[in-house]
Amino acid sequence: MDRDGFPRVAKLKDGSSVEISLASVADGSALLDFYRSLSDEDRLVLTDDVTTPDWLARFLAKLDSGAATSLVARADGRICGEATLHRNLHGWSRHVGEIRLNVARDRRGKGVGYALAAGVVKLAIDMGLEKMVAYFVASQVAARKTFERLGFRKEAELARQVTDIRGIKRDLFIYANDVSHIWAAMEALVEDSRPHEGQ
Amino acid sequence: MARTEIRVGGLGGQGIILCGSIIGKAAAIYSGRHAALIQAFGPEARGSACSAQVIVADEAIGYPYVRSPDILVLLSQDAFVQFAPQLKPDGLVLYENELVQVQGKLPVTARALGIPATRFAEELGRRLVLNIVMAGFFTGATNLLSIDAVEKAVLDSVPKGTESLNLKALMKGYEYGRGLATPT
Repeated sequence: MDRDGFPRVAKLKDGSSVEISLASVADGSALLDFYRSLSDEDRLVLTDDVTTPDWLARFLAKLDSGAATSLVARADGRICGEATLHRNLHGWSRHVGEIRLNVARDRRGKGVGYALAAGVVKLAIDMGLEKMVAYFVASQVAARKTFERLGFRKEAELARQVTDIRGIKRDLFIYANDVSHIWAAMEALVEDSRPHEGQ
Repeated sequence: MARTEIRVGGLGGQGIILCGSIIGKAAAIYSGRHAALIQAFGPEARGSACSAQVIVADEAIGYPYVRSPDILVLLSQDAFVQFAPQLKPDGLVLYENELVQVQGKLPVTARALGIPATRFAEELGRRLVLNIVMAGFFTGATNLLSIDAVEKAVLDSVPKGTESLNLKALMKGYEYGRGLATPT
């Protein structure tokens, strides 16, 4: 186990377990297999077409550059869930990370999504990010609850913002988790002044 | 009686006092030795000269001020100019090599080791942990304290939620310091 605490075993609600590990370039084909195994219904509102080699090449390049960090959940040797932290390494949103999460349908409701999302949230804080966002459509009730348990709150709702793969327009919910207070405490600690003392 | 005098110098906002405090805690609380810390900073919260005097000793410390440092940990050019002339003849300067230029002022028998600690801290995610990289560099380059003791002192000192990044910063500086202290 490295300093990030991965790989680790996550116990699920039904008594089974999955192994959560950091994804690397070597996981590319297994990731593509996972995403291709998702039904059209499950891929209805994904940001990218995750079934193409082009997507995989872009994704692996982002992993390699540090613009993306991915956790995968494995059960029986196969990927059954994946969460990615996307970040801008430069620019005005470099303190913000975007989290995307997908879990195989037959593994949902057992805690795989929570284990992955919690792991990615911790990675984001460890990287020094101050804010995390996640995007949902209205129908993703369980996913929203998972993120709410991790401190995310709805920050905006954009009407007809998403066109799903069937061409239907959907409202987009933007959830955010501001963890800047954690780093504010560290900033106060390194200020090298005690303005309230010695007066 | 082994007594090591350390001066950490830089600017307010660089975490100079925290760096000195971690060294002192590692010595006194986690290594069973004695330590004293004197801190000095300007009236401004950021940008003014700031320094910490740390004494690490095997016996009780009667005089807690640094008279002639054995080790300087420097994070600003002003600190170098001010403190370098005070260094013991065979002393050691550990400096942030993108903020400090070592030129003159050092005893000829002194050693100086630099580290790009700011760049390391930024690569890890936050410039804020620059001082922890320096604490790790100090640990790796001097062998005065064990990395376990310093790690415990860091964990005891930093806010909840920031432990992992701070430990990464510590190890980054430690490994770099070990590499310079024991050249192959």
